[in-house]
Amino acid sequence: MKATQEKSEKAQKLIDRMGEKLNRQMAGSLLACVHCGMCTDSCHYVLANPGDPTYAPAYKADRIRKIFKRHFDWTGRVLPKWVGAATVNTDEDLEELKDIVFGKCTNCRRCTINCPMGVDYATFNRMARGLLVSVGVMPEGVAVVSKDQWETGNQMGVLKEDYLDTLDWMEEELQEELEDPTLKIPVDVPDCDVVYSINPREVKYDPRSIADAAKIFHAAGESWTMPSEGWDMTNFGLFSGDDDLGGSVAGRLFESVEELRGKKLVISECGHGYRSTRCEGPNWAKSDVPFEMESSVNTMLRYIKEGRIKVDKTRNPEPVTFHDSCNNARSCGLFEEPRELLNLVCMDFREMYPNRAENYCCTGGGGAMSMSEYTPQRLKSGITKANQLKETAADFVVTSCHNCVDGLADVIRHYEVGMKVTQLVNLVANALVIEKKVAVPVETPVAPEVVEEVPVPVGVGAEGEELPLAGRRILVADDEPDQLDFISAVLEDNGAEIIRATTGDEVLELARKEKPDVLTLDLHMPGRDVGEVFDLIRKDPELGDLKICIITGKPELRRLIYERSVRPPEGYVDKPVDEKRLLVNVKKVLEVVHQDA
Amino acid sequence: MEAAVASDPQISIRDSVVRLIRGDITELDVDAFVFYAQSDLALGSGFGGMITVRGGASVQKELDEMAPVADLEAVVSEAGKLAAEFIIHAVGPKFREDDIEAKLLTTMENCLSRAEEKGIKKLAFPAMGAGYYGIPAPISATVMLTALESHLRGETGIEEVTICVFDRPQFTAFKAAIAALS
Repeated sequence: MKATQEKSEKAQKLIDRMGEKLNRQMAGSLLACVHCGMCTDSCHYVLANPGDPTYAPAYKADRIRKIFKRHFDWTGRVLPKWVGAATVNTDEDLEELKDIVFGKCTNCRRCTINCPMGVDYATFNRMARGLLVSVGVMPEGVAVVSKDQWETGNQMGVLKEDYLDTLDWMEEELQEELEDPTLKIPVDVPDCDVVYSINPREVKYDPRSIADAAKIFHAAGESWTMPSEGWDMTNFGLFSGDDDLGGSVAGRLFESVEELRGKKLVISECGHGYRSTRCEGPNWAKSDVPFEMESSVNTMLRYIKEGRIKVDKTRNPEPVTFHDSCNNARSCGLFEEPRELLNLVCMDFREMYPNRAENYCCTGGGGAMSMSEYTPQRLKSGITKANQLKETAADFVVTSCHNCVDGLADVIRHYEVGMKVTQLVNLVANALVIEKKVAVPVETPVAPEVVEEVPVPVGVGAEGEELPLAGRRILVADDEPDQLDFISAVLEDNGAEIIRATTGDEVLELARKEKPDVLTLDLHMPGRDVGEVFDLIRKDPELGDLKICIITGKPELRRLIYERSVRPPEGYVDKPVDEKRLLVNVKKVLEVVHQDA
Repeated sequence: MEAAVASDPQISIRDSVVRLIRGDITELDVDAFVFYAQSDLALGSGFGGMITVRGGASVQKELDEMAPVADLEAVVSEAGKLAAEFIIHAVGPKFREDDIEAKLLTTMENCLSRAEEKGIKKLAFPAMGAGYYGIPAPISATVMLTALESHLRGETGIEEVTICVFDRPQFTAFKAAIAALS
């Protein structure tokens, strides 16, 4: 008889931990599978890999089920071969399991709703992730993000001062846009009706969505605030399977609302954030939550229905379709509200098929966007989503989830779908009808008219107004001529003086010679490895303080730049570059003041 | 920076004080704080990211010269532009290793030895190994206070130890451990 193989310390701990995590729901799902194959066609990984049975949910589930049977089910202890029971012995076995539970499933739960036996594979796949995390086996990206959320309180490591600066900056932008100096983005105001929580992605990559939400709250006359601490409503514990992280993050958010005595927590558009906070958070945090919680989708819809805001749908004439986030829709039942809202703020909303609970994952679910080692298989699995999108022939795909925004953008780029991604908050803000406060004209003495030819200086627009980037020198680095021209033109039209670079060495040379105020940097520069130019600049004592706005078409490269042991970039813009977003980000970068400045 | 307030749980051990606060350890105005490190001394994300961003690139550069460091050992770097003067990088146990209490105790002793060597008077610790590295907060609290009590009862130049934690469950666990010691 073969001697029992000695287990590694991690393998033994994982098995011990499984015993602690099993509950009735999980045991039911582990035992109920009859291998009927109904789950197979429901999985977007299977559809993209029809010849590879290792992607089938039942197969993947069996990698976890066999351990359960071997150690926790009497049939597996007595007759292991008959019931397919087996164990994990080595650290290599754990690595193999890691690649299945993190790399071959986004926990989207589409197989769950298609299982006639009610097997909730995503639930025990999450458990398996948690078991691996508890012994320190996880993809590098999961480790980075988890540590950030544990220790900085948000999953992107946004510092408190940067968060507050961004709110200040968006407040100024809105005051300028609406010509209303009284408009505020309130922070830490007690006893408000609404406490608004956001995704750190909004601070780092999409601050305009914060401004759009503020505009809507302002127009509705809402009594609202944002917390200075515990403001991140995302929760990487949902993805990593770490219930302790889940409890810590949700607890911090609940605590901030309680400390401010807020009556309702409104959660900005984020699928996993909504599910983690509203549905799972109270259990993880072991907390009785004494206030209401709702998605900002419901809030915006309510404002329109109650007549608190007016919208003009003709401002959004382009055809739009809607992508149901797995966590919002399948897991939390948020199906009809976004559609009702879309029909109120858009002229041409069209469904994609299948939709609602049967919709396919964006490919970015389950934290997949942070696991760059699995990007090729993730993108391959996106073919189903790409086809769904193409068939709508819409110009925009709308989604209420920040993960989906990145996942969809990646699929659209990879399969050349030719569509833009946006969120409901952007569409509602765009459709918002706001009567600007009319300034009371002040009578001033009329000076004698002097007609004189005045030359228009650089940085002054056609109407004579000062342009926002007047007097700024910007080094634009990109190897694609079209991109280089476009970015340069946008910045130049706004008053900046442009210096162009097309290779990595040219960037380094011009940065030293020209000393620009900002560098917009494509991560892929010819002659240098991806990200190398960024790294060299940051480590160069002469250039270390140069402000950098990264521009890249690959969101997964964020990891590459944010994991470096150097100061992260001051700004970040995804390709394809949107004019408005580029301008907003470059203006923000220019306002960043370093501690040593 | 988190200012000490009268209601912070604290305990006197001979001539030294151990107090508990919630906050951001990288912003504390102390002589040194402890960073729970990996043996390659890469600062990485979380507190490490905050040290890099607020303290500057010089910290990692100094660490690169010292890496790798053996398990349970501790080394000292300067703290760049942070308010603290030094950072003690402690390679403590992680993720449900065997003998976690004994290993954590050794790590604590090494941190305190490095602090004494540098003449540190005001020293701050995080909840060692709790959070991301998965050591349950009550275990971390018990071991840390055992190590602190044992060390501070002897000859020491350390006058004040701040335990700076970041969430309510950690605070509750350490508060209970301090109460038990009192």
